[in-house]
Amino acid sequence: MKSAEVETRIRQVAGQRRLPETHLERWLALDQPSRARLLEITETLKLRTGQIVTAIDTLHEIAVREQTTIAEILDRPDIRRTLKSAGSTPARARALIDQLRTMRFPLLRAMQSRLAAEIAALKLPRGIEVVLPHELGSDELTVSIAAHSGADFERMLAALESKKTALMRVIELLGGKQ
Amino acid sequence: MNFEIDSIFVERGCADTPLATRVIRAAATRVPIVHIDDARELAKPDPNARDPFGAGKRRMIIARRKTPFLMACPAGSSRFACCGYLVLTLASNCPMDCSYCFLQEYLADNPAFQVYANFTDSFDELDRLIRSAPDKHFRVGTGELADSLAFDSMTGMSRDLIEFFSTRENLTLEFKTKTDEIENLLATDPRGRVLVSWSLSTDAVFRSSEHRTAPPSARIKAARVVLDAGYRVAFHFDPLIAYENAQRDYVELIDELLDTISPKNISFISMGGLRMTPGLRTVARRRFANDPMLCGEEVMAPDGRYRTFTPLRLKLFSTLAERFRNCGAEIPAYLCMEPAAIHERVFGTVPPRPATIGERLASS
Repeated sequence: MKSAEVETRIRQVAGQRRLPETHLERWLALDQPSRARLLEITETLKLRTGQIVTAIDTLHEIAVREQTTIAEILDRPDIRRTLKSAGSTPARARALIDQLRTMRFPLLRAMQSRLAAEIAALKLPRGIEVVLPHELGSDELTVSIAAHSGADFERMLAALESKKTALMRVIELLGGKQ
Repeated sequence: MNFEIDSIFVERGCADTPLATRVIRAAATRVPIVHIDDARELAKPDPNARDPFGAGKRRMIIARRKTPFLMACPAGSSRFACCGYLVLTLASNCPMDCSYCFLQEYLADNPAFQVYANFTDSFDELDRLIRSAPDKHFRVGTGELADSLAFDSMTGMSRDLIEFFSTRENLTLEFKTKTDEIENLLATDPRGRVLVSWSLSTDAVFRSSEHRTAPPSARIKAARVVLDAGYRVAFHFDPLIAYENAQRDYVELIDELLDTISPKNISFISMGGLRMTPGLRTVARRRFANDPMLCGEEVMAPDGRYRTFTPLRLKLFSTLAERFRNCGAEIPAYLCMEPAAIHERVFGTVPPRPATIGERLASS
């Protein structure tokens, strides 16, 4: 596809989706392979406005951090797999955005998964909730108890007591200990 | 180190001050000198400049400061453990250009590089401070809204400051810098009252983000020289940036530091994680669109700043703290702009009350 044709189609998509002017400018400012590849994916997956904005922001940040181009990122095998996977077009679009977010925050995602697994392994009774800080933005772990009777409450406290070591380990992980 | 400036503006009433005389002499014929009635308009951003903040750095203004010179550190907040640092604002803005610098937001409406011709008036404020609390010891720094030494070869301010502080037992002066501009310091006897601190970053951060600064190795070498000349030295690992291999690089940096300077000769160290308000992040990314250090794993923290997500940030703090703990001498250390609970996690103790660093400097 010729450069002028790509630009025309990007402008058409931006117009249809009411893409913010700043993001249109950033899209058009990309190198030719990158803007063409992003256009192709946008059209194939019928990305919505918010998804296009997220894709442009996230891809740009990954490209800067890894000193690569957006075209190279979108041609990676795991991205290709997502694009070709089974499932509806909206589901594949959501999967792509999620995958880009994971690429943007690989260590955060890995730590979130690890902590979530540690908490799941506690097998705490219904009524006790262990909540991690949003995006691990602090070191504060929230444990809440929803009890309906004194006996209920005592049972839950006992459950927490029996898991104290494992819970403290979660808190230590939040504080950067391995 | 020679920084480029396009022009020097001297406000009416300042031309005959010692500071202006020195600067004009140092600039000689290299930089045009313009005499003006009122500097306020020139201090504002140039609306026609492609990068108004960057353009401001190249416009030096010599003017009178009409507000107090001495203030509490602007980083202080009830949310954070405080080191008791007092700031003496003798200049505003900095000829160097670090991509993460908070001045890009803090001085966005006032970006010209201003040097205050009446800076010795600050000595009266300091004397009043001493009189108000004669039993206390204060750590006072000039490196918050400007680099303490970046233009010292032109302004010669350091000599006046050292002369004043060397006769005040209750004060320690801290020059904070990313330069190796120490010539004036070597010509003056600090009598134990002056500390020079360097912000230290890894080579990767220096190359990517710290434009027009001295390389980290040059900063460490300069520290060794001023130490031998009778100054105290300290180091700020701030901002710590959690890029790939950061942990390894920071440990190597500390090793290089400790190979050059014995730990017992380090007055203190501080650490701070990269932190950016949304406004700062926007302007920083606009001015340095290709800096990978600005695209790390930062998330919105409870204080409204983007920070490296907590376990990763604390891991980096702890690694550095441990390296210093194992170096054979107890070096006082604190975290900048972190809550007391984080301090406790990293150092294993609650943070000392404010001003403790100043008091330790007095007794050591």
